[in-house]
Formats: sequence, structure tokens, C-alpha cells
Amino acid sequence: MATAVPVSRPLVRREVPREIRRRRFLVAVAEHSVLIGLAIAFLAPFVFIVLTSVMTDHQSLSTNLWPQPAKFSNYSQVFKDAPLLTYAGNTFLYATLATVGMLISSVPVAYALACMRWRGRNVVFGLVLVSMMLPPQVTVVPQYVMWSKLHLIGTIWPLVLPNWFGDAFSIFLLRQFFLTIPRDYADAARVDGLGEFRIMASVMTRLARPALVAVALFSFLYAWNDFFGPLLYTGENQGHWTLSVGLAQFRHLHSVQWNLTMAATLLFMAPVIALFFAAQKKFVEGVNLTGVKG
Amino acid sequence: MTVSGVAGARPGALAVAPERRAAKRKAQWRRRRMVLLMMSPWIVGFTVFFGYPLIANAYLSFTHYDLLSSPRWIGTRNYDFMFSGDKQIWPAVKNTLWFIAIAVPLQVIFAFGVAQIVARARSGVGFFRTVFYLPTLAPPVAATLAFVFLFNPATGPVNTILSKIGIEGPLWFQSPSWSKPSLTLLALWGVGNAMIIFLAAILDVPKHLHESAELDGAGWFNRMRYVTLPSISPVILFSVVIGVIQGLQYFDQAYVASTVAAPGAAGNAADSSINLGYPEGSTLMYPVLLYQQGFRYFNMGYAAAMSIMLLLVSLVVTLLIVRNSNRWVHAAGGVK
Amino acid sequence: MRRSALAIAALLPALAVGACGGGGSGGNSSSKAPPKYDGKPVTITLWHGFTSREAGILNGVVKDFERTHPTIKVKTVGGVTDDKIVAALRGGNPPDVAQSFSTDNTGAFCGSGGWIDLKPYMDRDKVAVAQFPKAVQTYTTFDGKRCALPMMADVYGLYYNKDMFKKAGIASPPKTFSELTADAKKLTVKNGDGSIKVAGFDPTFGFYESVHAHYAPLFNAQWQDTSGKSTLATDPWMKLLRWQKDLVDWYGYGKLTKFNAGAGEEFSASNAFEKGKLAMNMDGEFRTAFIADEAPHLNYGVAPMPVDDSQPELYGGGYVTGNIIGIPKTAKNKAAAWELMKYLATDPHALATLTNGLKNVPTTATGLKSPEIKADGNFQPFLDIFENEHTQTNPPTAIGSANQELFQNFLAKWQAGKVPDSQLASGLKGVDQQIDAQIQNATAGQAP
Repeated sequence: MATAVPVSRPLVRREVPREIRRRRFLVAVAEHSVLIGLAIAFLAPFVFIVLTSVMTDHQSLSTNLWPQPAKFSNYSQVFKDAPLLTYAGNTFLYATLATVGMLISSVPVAYALACMRWRGRNVVFGLVLVSMMLPPQVTVVPQYVMWSKLHLIGTIWPLVLPNWFGDAFSIFLLRQFFLTIPRDYADAARVDGLGEFRIMASVMTRLARPALVAVALFSFLYAWNDFFGPLLYTGENQGHWTLSVGLAQFRHLHSVQWNLTMAATLLFMAPVIALFFAAQKKFVEGVNLTGVKG
Repeated sequence: MTVSGVAGARPGALAVAPERRAAKRKAQWRRRRMVLLMMSPWIVGFTVFFGYPLIANAYLSFTHYDLLSSPRWIGTRNYDFMFSGDKQIWPAVKNTLWFIAIAVPLQVIFAFGVAQIVARARSGVGFFRTVFYLPTLAPPVAATLAFVFLFNPATGPVNTILSKIGIEGPLWFQSPSWSKPSLTLLALWGVGNAMIIFLAAILDVPKHLHESAELDGAGWFNRMRYVTLPSISPVILFSVVIGVIQGLQYFDQAYVASTVAAPGAAGNAADSSINLGYPEGSTLMYPVLLYQQGFRYFNMGYAAAMSIMLLLVSLVVTLLIVRNSNRWVHAAGGVK
Repeated sequence: MRRSALAIAALLPALAVGACGGGGSGGNSSSKAPPKYDGKPVTITLWHGFTSREAGILNGVVKDFERTHPTIKVKTVGGVTDDKIVAALRGGNPPDVAQSFSTDNTGAFCGSGGWIDLKPYMDRDKVAVAQFPKAVQTYTTFDGKRCALPMMADVYGLYYNKDMFKKAGIASPPKTFSELTADAKKLTVKNGDGSIKVAGFDPTFGFYESVHAHYAPLFNAQWQDTSGKSTLATDPWMKLLRWQKDLVDWYGYGKLTKFNAGAGEEFSASNAFEKGKLAMNMDGEFRTAFIADEAPHLNYGVAPMPVDDSQPELYGGGYVTGNIIGIPKTAKNKAAAWELMKYLATDPHALATLTNGLKNVPTTATGLKSPEIKADGNFQPFLDIFENEHTQTNPPTAIGSANQELFQNFLAKWQAGKVPDSQLASGLKGVDQQIDAQIQNATAGQAP
């Protein structure tokens, strides 16, 4: 801004006129107020859920906003009314098995698509993209028929098994990430005589750890929150319900009160939110990976 | 394992020994086998969980199938029913289209707007980022339940607070004209994902572009229009495509909202599906109707036909957007 | 490798969808008597829709059955909806006996063979069909095939709050719909801001038990003619709809919606009638048990629902439906399952226990007369309604409850005021066409 003067006179910063300074200050205040307002709006539902979860049934149907008295026993009541631990166990089983399977099957595929040269590579990648864009409702009918012929309806296997054969979204993400790893690492390893498999297993996975963590987290989150799949495949067998199905059916089964439903909702969200806070940095990194490199 | 011979050796040009050629071919074969091995899970998965269902779907769409007895070939009757007999399908299509045309752009714009403001904030960026991202962690079922409860027109906090400042709140999820906007609000609550992506992209825009624009006298609006937007246009396109795809598949929230918001239930064991699309069919999205026809009305063949249509539409829409992306998206690197 | 993959893909549809015994289209048309239960110890599963208190009562009856049949153990699963039963029928892991609250899917179960034909069993054990009233016989058969037995029935009547009646100076419950409207208006109490505090009678279709099918017998409105064509575009239905709209408009549809949103869950202790937010309510006989359990001090009375002003002879009848039980085709222990079915449907002691506990209506002639039944003042009217000759049910269809849902979609628009009265007839005709088209689509390709 100030032109360079080749003289011993010290650089004089032009004084920013008061109006401009004040305008900038007001704009900053306005922006921060908007942000704070938005933050309140975004957090408000959580606040109300928490408040309602400790109300009595009568209160949750009234227009009172504040619970009096606070009935924390609602939480133990929820555990009594519905086998939440069973549901949680089922959900955890599904999410873990699906994530592990996804990692094992998708990493080689992404590696082959990104780091190895072969004919038809781009066609296959195109097919991966197409399968990503397909609404699940399109394939659900024949898949359901297939699983029912295998007598696996009522279990979580129809949900878990497809993940052991590659997950399109994870493949896409991992491939994009593998593309950014410089070839030198792989080439050096090849010169050293390592087989492709070893290269992939040791070199790439170490370098690509953030991406692996990201897809693992996304896969876990997706399975945890999945509703349509479990509704379809475990709906008839209450012992195998996941938390999402259990929550949706909670109201129906016990003609239940909103206060208990809200408590159950919180319990459903709790593990994932805890996971988020624990792995916050990886989460955000992962989210950036999906979009910016996409 | 020997490394391939002289790089770039033209066959026949030099005296390439036959052993070398054989060795090279062997190495190629080994590599192909390795690729095959690595791709095998996906190949099986694609065939069994994608290819086969597509083909089977096409077949089923020409049958009547109630899943309790074998499929019965009926030719094009399902498609006839779809285009002339079924009065529910066109409203379902319109509902889904409404969502894609209104909710998706709103989500993108809202995510971008919030990201813009967060980007300019100097303090507490981490805090705001966390706050805005938290709702996306909420499972769709839980979030929908919470929203239906919070927006209960008679006893929910939203209308209670509105009435305290003198506004009579609408019937939200109980009103056919407000139910889709209510679902949109629910979707907006969950833009954290897109917002973080936009935030990263906005922060990635090279500062010198902004500075030179500023020098040229551009105000914040023009800077956003001519610098920010073009630079992050790949991200915008990505968000729109994802949004449209999700809109075409929108099921969970519509299903839960309509069955939960409906008053009481006819009969003892609330057969909740009787209220799909409540109120007045305004939340009956295409995937929800598909579920209803196939899994409630014993009409799997028709559901298969519906899904074929959905596939065609998805392909067309995705192709349209991607084909036209060249017009809207600047090559990576932004304005030079 | 790619080629063989395609080959496998081409074969799969044939394998999965066609050949391997994908559901027989009626393999048990044999008139040979099915094998009798051989007395070997076995455990069978019973799925039912009851929960909490009601489930406990059913379990008690099941224990009685186990006492009289010591080699059969019964495992019960409650809270089961029709969706689950259908899914189990497909998935191949069904219970031995399934109970459903709704008769909506009788058509699908019988028509597809999902539930087995019971005639061979009934003939073998001389279980007479005539012991069930006509209406009950209707909802347990489809297309001539009986695949279900009734297990207790529900009839619907008018519950009214006696205290509120006294305060409003109404001497007796209304007998016609115009009387109902007049009483409802007198009994309604509004809040200061105009919203409804106490509703005299809530006419919203879809609220609690206020459902189109439940009103039909009161106007003698028919769902279909003898050939199976939908007959909604007829006078009785239109009279019902016009009456309903009048009352809805008097309340204001928006205000009613708000009231409904704030009304408690139907099957919870905050039921609006039990809590005094409703002066009159159409409900089933099971409500008496709930009130005794949840609101024992409520001073209420029961009467048959009012009827069409121009058809006063219909008074005393009402809508009947019931629970149905059946044996899935792929059940593993059919012989033992049939023993349980017989017990639940016809054993007088079982029926009496269920009647007294669930306060449902027993479905056999002898059951009704059983001396074990404790019918207090508020329960007896329901037994009378059950035996009334004008009591009807809605016939099962091949499309499950689709016809009811399609009609409900239209009614939702009607009561919201989106359909002007001049278009009522044409609107109903449109629904008829929709239902017929859906049925046609469902039965397409079948040999007549």
C-alpha cells in the first residue's frame, strides 16, 4: 500500500480513518452476531431434547418449556422399557463388522485403481461412480428376494456382507487419496523388490492413514445411523433390531410418551457424539478429503 | 523378480532376446493376476449386489410378485398401471421433485453462506465448526423424531416461543403445505457436512486473487461472485450432485415424520404404514411410495417397475449435471 | 473371468426367482386329512400383537393351554405387526401360529397361500363354522378359502362422559347423527384464545378410532358390490362424509388438527377421553379394560353409536372386526400349532378368560353365553352390539389395506376442505377407479 521510498525515512502507516475502522468493527459485530444466532439455532434442538427427556409425561404434552421436577429416572425407565443394550449391541456389531469388511475389501480395489496400470481401469472406475449414484431402492427388491432365499432375513448379515465386497464410496475416496501419494514411494519399493501386495499393505497404508481413518469413521457412522436397511432386514425380528429401528418403533410399541422417546433419542446419539469429540481432528480431515479432492 | 528390460525398447529395433520378451510377458501376466486378485472382492460385489439386482429388477417389473408365491408374468401391466391407473405416483414424483428443486439448492446456499461467515470470523472458528457439524452426527431417525416433537403445533417449544412473541405458528408437520418446508428445515439443520467442505474450500482460495480484486475496487459481493464462487465451483458442483442423489433417495426422514406426526392410529397395534405421506400425501416421496407398494401392498413387481424408472431418472439427471458442469465449473486452479 | 462372471449373473435370476420351490401356488388342496398331533414333546412359537397388560393376559391363557397339553410348550412373542408377519412369511422363519389385530391382510394371506387352508383340519376335528357369527366368518375367509380363525372380536360403540352430560343437561346419549352433532356442540369447551379445550366429539378421520370403516355400518355403506367392484361413490358414503364435514367445519379444521396434535397417545394413560378432553368418543370394547386400569374414577357410559337419521332401524349395530390367527405355510409344527389354534378360538374357558381380561368380545355362540363372563354395565352393551343383525365388517381384498388407505388419502383432502361438495361424487368415483385399478394390477394374469 505504501510505496517503497528508498530513503531513511521510516515507513509511515497511513492512519485508517475512523469511519472505516468503525464500519469494519460493526461488520465484525454483525457477522459474529449472525454466527452466534445460528449457533443458538443449531444447538436449540439439542437443548430441547435434553430438557424434554427429563420431563414427566404430562409435562411433555404441555407447553411448559422447563421441566419441573427433573425426572432423571426417565433414562433408567428407557432401559427397562426397551432392550436398548441389545439394540446397541446389534448396532455396534453391524457397524464394526461392516467397517472392518469395508477396509479389507476396498483398500486393494482403490490401490489397483490408483497405483497400477491396466486396461479398463477407467471403465471400472466409471462403474464404481455409477454404483455410487444409484438409489438403493433400485436394487433393494431383488436383493431382498435373494436374501430371503438364503434365509437370512431377520439377521444383520444382509447388512454386513455387502460391505465385505467393496463399498463404492470408500473406494472412490481412497482412490482419490492414493492418487495424491507420489509415485516415488511405490517405485522405490518396487526397485527394492517388494511385491505389489506388500507395497500396498505396508507402504501405502502407512502413508494413507488419515484417509483410512476417515473412511473407517464414515463407514461406522453410516452403519450406526442406517435406518432403511435394518428396517427391511431385521424388522421382523426384534432381537436383532438396531438402535435406529428400535427408536422408530419405540413410540409404537409402548404407546409411549415423548419424554421417554427423547431420552432414548439422546442415548442413541450419545456414542457417536462421543466418538466425534474423541476423533474430532480426523473427522474434519476426512470430511475435507471428500469434498476438496472430489 | 527381475525388473523389466530396457525401458522403451521397440520390439525388433534392438536385439531383444526372446528370454527378455518372455520375462516381460510373464511380469505383465503376474501384474494382471495381481490386479485381478485385488479387484476380486469388488467384482463379486458389483455383480452380485449391483449387476444381478438390476437384471432381476428388470425381469420382476414385468411380473406380479407378492413374495409369498412365485412371480407371475404379466407383461407390461405394471407399467400400464403406473402411467394410467396409479393416482399416487404422479404426486409422489412431484414431491420428490419439489425436494430436489427447493431443498437441495437451499441446502447448498445455506451451507455456503454459513461457511462464508465462519471463514471471515477471526475468533472461535473451531467452536463454530463443531457446533454446526454436531447435528449431522444425529441419526436421521432421531433427528426427525426430535423435530416432529419440537414442532408440534399444539405443545411444541417452537410454537410456544412463537406465541410468546405474538405469532401464531403454522401446523408444521401436521399441515400439508408446511410439511415439506418442515422437512427442509430439518435438512438445513444437517448441512454441517457441506458447510465444512465449503469452509475448507473458501479458505483455500489464494489470497492474492482476493487482494488483486480488492485493488481493482471490487466490494465483498463482487469479490464473492468473481473470485470465490468460480474458485470453489468444483466443490459447489460436488455438493449439488450429492444433494440431488440424496434427494432422489430421500426416505428415512419422510417415513418417520409421516408415521410419527399422524394422530393416533386406527386399530390397536399401530400399523404405522397407513399414514405414509401424512398429511394428505404431502410427504409421500417416490421411495416411500415404492416401499409402500412393494412391502405393504404385496406389489413387488410394481415396486420393481418403479425402481427401474427411478434408475433412469437418476442416470439422466446425473448425466445432465455432469455434462453441463464444464459450463459452470472452472478448471482446477481457478482464474489465472 | 469377466465372461464367466456375466454367465453367473445371467443364471442367477432363474435360480433365485423361478425354480427352487419359490412358493407353491397351493400344494395343499389335497382333501386327505392332515396328520394329527402325535403327542411328542415340542415347542411352538406364537406371535401376537399384544403388549404390556394385555400380553400378560394372553400369556395366562397360553399357560392354561400348556396345562391341558403338557407335551406342547409355547413360546410367545408380542408386539408383532402385520408387516412382521408378512416379512416372516417371505423370509422363511415364521412362527407356528401368527395372530394379527387386523383383518386387512386376510385376503393376501389366504389368496397367496401364506396362511394354510384350515378346512382339512376343521373337517377332521369337526370344528363347526356355524358357531361363528356371519360377520366373523366374512373376515376370516377370502375367495372361499378359510385360512384364519377368529380370536376374540372388537365392536365399536359410543363412550360418553356422564359428568359432562349432566353438566350440559343432556339426558341420554344420541341415537342419530344429527343428535350427535347437537350434543357435540353443547359439550365443546373452548379456551380463551379460541382453541379447543374439550371437544364434544372429534370427527377427524384418522384420529384415534375415528376411521371410515368404523362408520360404514352406521349408514349401511358398502365397500364393494358382489362382483368385487369398489362402491364408494354411493349415497350412504356421501351422507357420512357430508355429516362429517359439517362438524369439522364447525370446529375449524386447523383448530381440530392442533387439538389432535396435542391429544395424548391413544393407548397411553393420557388418552384424551380418559383425561377428560373428549366428551364423547367412538371406541372399541377394549377401552373399558384400559379405563379400569388407567382412569378408574372416570364416570362414563356406553351406548351403541348413533346412526343415519333416515335409517333408524340400524340403531344397535356397529362395526365389528377381530383378531385373526392362522398357521403360516412354512411353519414347522403344524399339527401342534392347530391344537393351539383350536384352543384359542373355541375353548370356552379360554374365551371367557380373554373376555374378562382383555374385555374383548368372544367370537363363538357358546362363548357369548358362557357363565364365566363378567359383563358389567359398561361391557354388556358391546356384547349386544356384537349379536345385533346390523353389525357389519369390511370385506377382505386382494390388496390388503390398500383400498382403505387410498380412501383415507381422499378423506384427508376432503376434511381439509380441499374438495368442494360439488366434486364429492366425482372424487369418490375417482377413488373407486383407483381401487379397482390396484386390484386389477394385483390379480393380473391370474386364471379366472
